[in-house]
Amino acid sequence: MRKAGACALVAATALLAGSVGLRVTAADPPDRWWQPGEGRVFPTRLDYADPTGVIRVVLDGGPMATQGHPFFTAIGPNGRACVTCHQPADGMSLSAASAARQWERGGPRDSLFAASDGADCPSLPQDARASHSLLIDHGLIRIARPWPPRDLNGKAISPDYKLEVVRDPSGCNLDPKWGLHSADPHISVFRRPRPVANFKYIEAMGFAYDPKAGLPLALDPETGKPVSGNLMADGRVPSLTWQMRDAAGAHLAFARKLDQGDIARILDFERHVYVAQQRDDRGGMLDADGAEGGPEQLRISKPGRLGSQGVPVWSEFAKWEKPDPQARASVSAETLAFRASVARGARIFRDKTFLISDSAGINSPIGFGNPVRNSCVFCHNMSQMGMDVAPGQVDLGTTNRPFADAMPHLPLFRVTCLGKPHPHYGRVILTHDPGYALTTGRCADVGRITLQSMRGLAARAPYFSNGSARDLRGVVDFYDRRYHIGYSEQEKQDLVNLMSAL
Amino acid sequence: MKSALLLILVAAQQAAAPAPEVRFIACPVYRDTDAGRKSGCWLADDPASGGRYDVTSAPTKPDWNRAILVEGRAAAKDAGNPCGGTVLDPVRVSVLDQPCTRFMLAADGYAGRRFALPQRNVRPLYETRTPPSKPFAARTITVPFDFGSSFITYQLSDFYLDQAINYALDVQPARITVTGFAATDHDRVSGQLLVEPSSLAKERTKLVTRSLIMRGIPAGLIRESLTHRSTPSTDPAFDGLATASLRRVEVRIEPLSTPKISSDH
Repeated sequence: MRKAGACALVAATALLAGSVGLRVTAADPPDRWWQPGEGRVFPTRLDYADPTGVIRVVLDGGPMATQGHPFFTAIGPNGRACVTCHQPADGMSLSAASAARQWERGGPRDSLFAASDGADCPSLPQDARASHSLLIDHGLIRIARPWPPRDLNGKAISPDYKLEVVRDPSGCNLDPKWGLHSADPHISVFRRPRPVANFKYIEAMGFAYDPKAGLPLALDPETGKPVSGNLMADGRVPSLTWQMRDAAGAHLAFARKLDQGDIARILDFERHVYVAQQRDDRGGMLDADGAEGGPEQLRISKPGRLGSQGVPVWSEFAKWEKPDPQARASVSAETLAFRASVARGARIFRDKTFLISDSAGINSPIGFGNPVRNSCVFCHNMSQMGMDVAPGQVDLGTTNRPFADAMPHLPLFRVTCLGKPHPHYGRVILTHDPGYALTTGRCADVGRITLQSMRGLAARAPYFSNGSARDLRGVVDFYDRRYHIGYSEQEKQDLVNLMSAL
Repeated sequence: MKSALLLILVAAQQAAAPAPEVRFIACPVYRDTDAGRKSGCWLADDPASGGRYDVTSAPTKPDWNRAILVEGRAAAKDAGNPCGGTVLDPVRVSVLDQPCTRFMLAADGYAGRRFALPQRNVRPLYETRTPPSKPFAARTITVPFDFGSSFITYQLSDFYLDQAINYALDVQPARITVTGFAATDHDRVSGQLLVEPSSLAKERTKLVTRSLIMRGIPAGLIRESLTHRSTPSTDPAFDGLATASLRRVEVRIEPLSTPKISSDH
C-alpha cells in the first residue's frame, strides 16, 4: 500500500466533536462526505460520529493518498467514484440519512443521484426529488439485472420461472426503454449498498463445500480458484475483481474495462479496510475493560472461523457480563447498564432458540429439517463478523410475500414456477426482489439473499437488502414476527444494543 | 454343562443380532422439544404396525410438509425415549415429493436430545489435516444418497465425498473410477411403489465427478462408470442398512506407480 506523508494523516483525522472524548487534530476538518477526486489522504484511523456513537475505519498499512486512486476518482462520465456509495462515515456503505443530506446540499447535481441508478428510473425527470425517492428516503440504489438471467460469460440462462410485474411505483420495470419488455430487457430491483470493508472475512473460506448447494465451493472462472460465495446480495459475481468490473460499468458508467493496475490498487485498498463501531455514547469505548469491540480486533483476528467450534460469535463482549470491581468503579451506572445489555444481547443472539421454518437455504434443500430449532448464530456463525461461513444465500422473507413487510414504494413481481413448485411457497410467489434467483434462474432461489457483515451497523441504516428495516429495532421486530420468537421487551433492547455496538 | 454353554452362546448371539430393518413411508410429526439448538424431535408412524418411531438421528431431517421414507433399525434399549417414539439408530430419512399436512406436537415432557456434532462432519480448511502415509493403497470410498436424490447430504455424504477428494488429491497421480448406483428394482413400501430411474445413477456419478474436478482433480484422470443394477453394499457409510446402500456412488482411487518428480535436490 502506498503511504502518504504524516501531515496528511493529521489533516484527515476525524471530525469528531469533543463530546465523544477523542482528540480533534484538524482545525478545519473536511466534510464527512467524501466527494470523488478530492485528493484527501485516507488515514490509518478515521472516526466519525454516528447516531449512537463513533464508527471507526482502520486502514491497515495506511495512510494512503487518494489523489488519482481509482476507488476515489471518477473514472466514468457520471462523476461517481466507488467512494460515492461507500462512504467512510457510513461504515463504507451509504446511509439513507447521508443520501438525504446530499440531496439537501446539492440536489440532482450531486453525482450520487446519477440517472442510471441513483434515480428510481433513468426515464424520470431528474431534477425532481420524487424521481430519486428510493435513494433519498430508503437508501436504495437501482440494480438492473438482465432478463432472462445471464451467466458470467454473458450467456443467457433459461429460467425455470416466469416473471411478471404486479405493480411498479418506480415505473422502471414497465418502461419501454429500461423495462422487462424493452429491446434490452432488464428487471430493476432496489438494494442497499453493501459495506466495502472487512473483506478478509467476507472472502474467507472456512470449508471447502457449500452445503446449501451440495457442492464444493464455486470456482472463479477467471482464476479457477474457489471463492467464498459471500459477495453481493444476489451472489452474481464470484470475486472482488468481478464485482468492481460490474460496479464500474453499472454504477460509474465506465465504458471500458478497468485495467489491471487499477484493479490491483482497488483490491489492495479494499482488503486493508476494517470497519466497526468504536464507541457508544452510553457504553463508552467498545474495547474497554476487557471487551474486544472496534475494528482493531478485526484487523488482527483470523477470518472464516466457525463460532460454534472456536471463538463464540460476539464473545467480544463476554467480559462485560461480570465487570471487575475496578471497571465498576470507573464508569457510570448508565455505562455499566449498557454494557450489561450488550453482553446479554450476545448471549441471546447465540443461545435463544426459536423455530426456523420455510426458509430456503436453511430448511431446503439442505437437510436441517423443516422446521429446525436454532438461534441467530445458526446462520450468523462466523466469529467476529456474524456472516455465514458457508455461502449464505438465505430467504428470510424480507423480499417475499407474505413475510415481507408492506413496502408500497417498491416494485412487486409475480414469479410462476414452471417446473417443480418452490419448496415453501408453491407455484406462485409474490416478491419485491427475486434475489439469488436472478443469478441462478432457479425458482427455488427466489428471495434468497446473501447474508452480509454485521459490523458498523450503527452508521448505515436502514437494514436488510431492501432497506425494509428503518432501524435496528426494525430488524429485531422483523425476526420476531417472521419466526414467532416471542422476544421480551428487554431482550429486544439487548439485541438492539448489541448490534449498535458492532 | 455343554447345554448350559450352548444356551449362553445362543443368548449372546441373540443379543448381538441387529434389530430387523424397519422401512415405511409416513408424514412426519415435529415435536417441539427444546434442549438447545437442533434439539427438536422428528417422529413418524409406521402405517403397517402403528408403531411410532423417533427418526431424529437421521442425517437428513424431515420437512413437515412432505412425506418421508424411513429406513432404520431400532436402537439398543439404553437409547431411552427422549422424543416419544421407538428410537431408530441407525436411520435414514429421504424426503419424498408427496405433500403432507404439517403437524407439530408440544414437548409434553419429552426432553429431546442435546445436539452433539456428528462424527461424520467435514472439518474446516483452517484445521491441519494429516495426509495418509506411503505407500498409498488403492481405496474405494462410497458416497451414500437419499432416495430419489442426487443432493450431497450434509454430515453424511459430504463427509465421504470429502474423504474421497482428499485421498485423490493426496495420492496423485492416481486413476479414479466413479461408479454410480440407483435403486432401480421395483420395491413396494407402505403400499407405494418405490423405484429410482436409472438416470439417477448417472446424475449421481456426474455430480461426484464434478465435485472431484472442482476440488482440483484433473478431469483426465477420472473415468465414469455405471451399473445397470444395484446390489447391497456392506460399506460402513450405510451402518448396515441394506436398502439405503443401493443408492450410492463408489469412488475407486488407484495410485499410479509413476513416482512423483521431486523438486528437492
